[in-house]
Amino acid sequence: MSKIKKKRVGFVLDMTPLVDIAFLLLTFFMFTAKFKSDTENEQKFQIKRPMASADTSKVPDKDLAMIKIGIDTVTNDTAYYYSLSNEQDRKVVYNSDKVQLSDEARQKVILKVTDLKVLEALLKQTRMANLRMKFAIDADKRVQYKWIEDLTNVMRLSNATVFNFVTDKPN
Amino acid sequence: MGGGGGGLQAAPKVKRGSFATVRKKKKRVGFVLDMTPLVDIAFLLLTFFMLSTTLTTPQTMEMSVPPETENVEVKQSELLTVLVRDDGQIFKYMGDKKSNPPEKIALKDLRALSVNENLRMENKLIVSLRISNKVPYGLVINLLDQLNIAETDITQRLSAKGMKRERKFALTPLTDEDKEDLKAL
Repeated sequence: MSKIKKKRVGFVLDMTPLVDIAFLLLTFFMFTAKFKSDTENEQKFQIKRPMASADTSKVPDKDLAMIKIGIDTVTNDTAYYYSLSNEQDRKVVYNSDKVQLSDEARQKVILKVTDLKVLEALLKQTRMANLRMKFAIDADKRVQYKWIEDLTNVMRLSNATVFNFVTDKPN
Repeated sequence: MGGGGGGLQAAPKVKRGSFATVRKKKKRVGFVLDMTPLVDIAFLLLTFFMLSTTLTTPQTMEMSVPPETENVEVKQSELLTVLVRDDGQIFKYMGDKKSNPPEKIALKDLRALSVNENLRMENKLIVSLRISNKVPYGLVINLLDQLNIAETDITQRLSAKGMKRERKFALTPLTDEDKEDLKAL
């Protein structure tokens, strides 16, 4: 306390850390923006998941067939969106002649399906391509239950009797 | 060709950098490397990954439907029916609806109901959910969540009695007859 403070003459602040972090963040965000999965890249809707507190298991990332039911942000239409996590299975299933799809749709990662017959064929082919495949239903909470009911009926017909509802943890 | 050509006539400039090559390099005594930026970045990355990984992992609720060929016969006395009307109102009745007319029930009371009835019937109870296809999917999940929360309680109490919990559960659409029954309520 007794020491007299030196007056700061020619005060210099080292900006290196600041610049480092700024560049780091910049590159980081650049990379993450690029590496987002193909499925999410094509998705034109956002899903508001329902909350469920009792659930603890996580969504598997391998051998997963995801059926999303989303409301398009522009047109407000509801539709099923089908995607497979394994690229190999995707190629087999999407290119199967049992599934009626346009050639353009076969190239896509995420399929928009409005016809339940097509969905049934897709599910059947998926089960044939990979028996370990797990099914997950990721639906918007505002969607009418009719969509889920139709979907579960189709799943029953394709022998995919065990599936998961994707939910969020309430805060 | 106005101002651009001026540089050609000027005497060759001595580059600033070339001066350094003439000067003798100072020997570094007591070399100190500032580690602050490294630490900064390390902490930054750490916090970032910590936050981003916990926030974006959705959970799953496992469900199963009976295969197409299977037809299960059930006793009506062992049946707890939960009905959800078009407007999202929930009703329930035990066993036969003629002797036990449907009653309105709040979503939050469903958990207690499931626990009580399951313990009373000691594992024999079958919960039949009949849901109108006009209600939002979010409500259905909330309802199933209540039953799932009840499930942990039931399993615990039954295992205390030395019984193994077997859950019996069915999801069926709401019939026109059900709709008629619920209209006046």
